[in-house]
Amino acid sequence: MTIQFERGKVVVIDRGARKLRVGQGMLKGMAVVWHHWLKSFQKLDNFSKTAGVFTVEYPDERIKLPEAYRNMPILLYDDETGQELCTACFQCQRVCPPQVIHINQARNPETGKAIPAAAEFIIEYDACMSCGFCAEVCPFDSIKMDHEFELSTEDHAELTMNKAQLSRPVSYYERIAPTFWAEVKASAYKKLQNSVKRRVDLIGIAPQMVEKVKAMRAAAAESEATEAAPSSAPTKPSAAETSPATDKAAKLAAIRAANAAKQDAGNGGTSTPEAPAGDDKAAKLAAIRAANAAKKAAESGEGSASVAPAAPEAPAGDDKAARLAAIRAANAAKKAKDEQENS
Amino acid sequence: MYDVVDYVLNTTFNLGAAGWVVSLISYLMIATVLFLVAPLQMLFLTYYERRLIARMQDRVGPNRVGPEGMFQPVADAVKMFTKEDIIPAAADKWVHLLAPLVVVAPTMFMFAVLPWGPGMTPIDMHIGLLFFFAVSSISAVGLMMAGWASYNKFSLLGAMRAVAQMVSYEIPAMLSLLAIVMITGSLSIVDIVQWQGGLFISSSDVAGVPNWGLGWFVFNPVGFLAFAAFFIAALAEGERTPFDIPEADSEIVAGYMTEYSGMKFGLFFLAQYVLNFLLCAITAVIFFGAWQGPGVNELYALGITPDNPDGNGWFNVLAGVLGAFYFLFKTYAFFFVMVWIRGAFPRLRVDQLMDFGWKYLIPLTLVNVFSAAIWVGFNNWGANEGFGFAEPLGDLGRWAVAFVLTLAINIAAYIVMTRIYGETRRVTFDEQLADTAGLPS
Ligand code: SF4
Ligand code: SF4
Repeated sequence: MTIQFERGKVVVIDRGARKLRVGQGMLKGMAVVWHHWLKSFQKLDNFSKTAGVFTVEYPDERIKLPEAYRNMPILLYDDETGQELCTACFQCQRVCPPQVIHINQARNPETGKAIPAAAEFIIEYDACMSCGFCAEVCPFDSIKMDHEFELSTEDHAELTMNKAQLSRPVSYYERIAPTFWAEVKASAYKKLQNSVKRRVDLIGIAPQMVEKVKAMRAAAAESEATEAAPSSAPTKPSAAETSPATDKAAKLAAIRAANAAKQDAGNGGTSTPEAPAGDDKAAKLAAIRAANAAKKAAESGEGSASVAPAAPEAPAGDDKAARLAAIRAANAAKKAKDEQENS
Repeated sequence: MYDVVDYVLNTTFNLGAAGWVVSLISYLMIATVLFLVAPLQMLFLTYYERRLIARMQDRVGPNRVGPEGMFQPVADAVKMFTKEDIIPAAADKWVHLLAPLVVVAPTMFMFAVLPWGPGMTPIDMHIGLLFFFAVSSISAVGLMMAGWASYNKFSLLGAMRAVAQMVSYEIPAMLSLLAIVMITGSLSIVDIVQWQGGLFISSSDVAGVPNWGLGWFVFNPVGFLAFAAFFIAALAEGERTPFDIPEADSEIVAGYMTEYSGMKFGLFFLAQYVLNFLLCAITAVIFFGAWQGPGVNELYALGITPDNPDGNGWFNVLAGVLGAFYFLFKTYAFFFVMVWIRGAFPRLRVDQLMDFGWKYLIPLTLVNVFSAAIWVGFNNWGANEGFGFAEPLGDLGRWAVAFVLTLAINIAAYIVMTRIYGETRRVTFDEQLADTAGLPS
C-alpha cells in the first residue's frame, strides 16, 4: 500500500502478503499462536521481541528494582556511630498528605528544652500512600523510600512502625540506591556533623545501635584513660595530636576547656578569647590558650577543686567526645603537676 | 479382554469357568477401568489445557502444586468437593439436581465403544458409531434441564444456545461421518479402525499395500474434508472456543452452569472435559486409525486372538500398550489442536455459528458425500454395479482415478463454497458506514 501526500512525500506501507482467501487468514492466525507456543520454551530476555515467556517467577526469582522504586519510608542512621540523620524538623510530618507521620521531639533531660532529635518517630505504614513526599522534603536526607514491599501481615497493628522499626543504616540505603545516595552523601554528612557539633551529647542514636554505641564508648573511654596516665609530660604536642582527624570536635573541646578554665579562674583577670573555630590551627591555638588559662588558674591557688569536674564529666559521646575527654584529662593532669611543682 | 480372561481362567488355572462368568468378569474389569479412566482424563486434560494455553499466551501456567504443577487438578478437585452446594430458592430442585447427572452419564456410556487397542474395544457394537453420537446428544437434554431448572435468565439463555448449537452441528457432523460409513460400509467402530490399515493407501481399497497401520482416512480427499468438517463440528459439540457460545463467560456469566456450585458444577466440568476427550478420541478413531500404527498389527497377530487361540498372551499386552499409546497420542494431539484453536480465535456470535453450520458446512459435507460415492464406485464396485469400464485400470489405477477425481471435486467445492460464504459475510466499509450513520447505502 502506498500513500501519497501532497508535496511529494511518499509513504510505503508493507502490508505483508497478498489478500488472504479461502481460509488462509485463519491458518495465518493459527500460525501466530504456533509461533508463540514454540517460542514459549525460551525465556524472553530481549524485550524488542514479542514471543517468549517473560514471566519472572516471583518468589523464586526477583527483578532488581530500579533505584527510584519507592514503597515505604525509612529513617537513616550512620553505620558506625548510630547517629540519626533526623533532626525532628517536622518537615515530613507537615508534608505528608495522609498525615501518617508522628514525631515526638526529644528534650534535654537536664534543661527540659527541645533538642533537634526525635525521641519517637512513628509512621503508619497502613495508611501511607507511598507518595515519597517525605523523602523529597527532608532537608537532612534522613527519611528515604525503602524497596521492601513484602509487608503483608495478619495483624493490623504491626503496620504502625516506630523508630526502631524504621531505622536503617546508611549502608542499607546506599546498597538499594547507590547513585541517589552518592548525590546527597556529602551534604547529608555535613549536616550530620553540624548537628553533632552543636549538641554532641544529645544527637539521636538509632535504637538498635544504642547498646553497641554504649559498648564502643566504654571501650574507647577505657583505652583513652590508660593512654592518658603516662602522657602527662608534654602538653602542647598531645593537644595538637588529637586534632587532625576530628578538628571540629577538638575545637569544640578546646572552647569548652577554655570556658571551664575561665570559670575556674573566676576573676582571673586575663581575657581568654573565644576560639573562632576557623581551622585546625585556630583549634590548636585555642587548646594552648585553654591549657594556659588552666595553668594560670592553678597558679592563682584556687584550682585545687578544679581537678574534679574535668575527668568524670567526660560525656562519652563517641570517639570524638572520648578525645575531648582525653584532652581534658591531659589538662587536668598537667594542672595537677603544676600544683605539685608549686607546693 | 474376553479372550485374555478366558485364557487365564480356563487355560492357565483350568477352572473351567462358563462363558457367562468369563463375560461378566471381563466386563466388570473393563467397566471399572473405564470409570477410573474418565475422571483421570478430565484431571489430566484440565492441567494439559491450562499449561498449553499459557504457553501459547507467553505465560508459564500452573506450576506450583507438585512438580511442574502436576497436582494442580487434584487441588482443584478438592476445592470443588469442599465448596458449598447452593440451590437457588426459585429453582426446580429435582431437575436442578438431576441435570448434571443427565449430562455426565452419556459421556460415560460413550466409552463403551471406544477402541483402545486391537481387541480392546469394550463392546464391538454393529452400530457403534451411531450409538456414540446418539448417546452424546442426550447431554443436550441435561443442559436444557439445567438451564430451565435454574430459574435464571443467563442459565436459560445458555441452555437455549447450547441446544441450538448442538442441533445445528449434529447435521454436518453426521454428514461427514456418512461419507466414511459409505466407504467402510459398516457402522461398527472396529470395522472402521480395521479399514485403516495400509500405508497412506488403505489396504481395503488396494489389496497388497503393506500394512503399517497407516492407511488412515485423512490420507484421502474424502476423509480429509470429512475430517475438517467433523472436527469443526466437534468443537461446537464440545463447546470449545470459538464455539463456546453456551457458556460465553463474557456475555452470559457461565451459561447453563451459572447457578451451579460445588460438586454439581464439578460434574458439568467433568462432563465437558470427558466429552472433549471423547470427541478428540473419536476423531482419532475415525480419521486417524485409532490404535493403528506401525507394529501393532504384527504384535497382535502373535497374541491370543479368535483366529489364533494358541498365541502368547504377552503379545496381547504389548500390542495393547502400543495401540493405547498411539491412540492416546493422537487423542492428545487433537486436544492440542483444540487448545491451539482456542488460543487463536475469538468466539463467534450465535448467528455466525448458525450461518457457518447451515450455509457452509452442510453443503460442503453434502458434496463430500458425493465424492465418497465416487470413491466407493471406483474402488469397490465391479461390472455388476456398472463400473466394469474401470476394471482394466487395476486396483492401484482405480484408486488413483478416484483420488484425483475426489480431490478435484472437494477442492473446487471448498473454494466455491468459501467464496460464496465469504461474499455473504462480507460487509463493505460503505455498508458499515451506512449502518452506523443510518444512511441509505
Ligand atoms: S510516603 Fe507520603 S504518605 Fe507515606 S509517610 Fe511519606 S509523605 Fe506520608
Ligand atoms: S525525617 Fe527529615 S523531614 Fe522528617 S523530621 Fe526528620 S529531618 Fe525533618
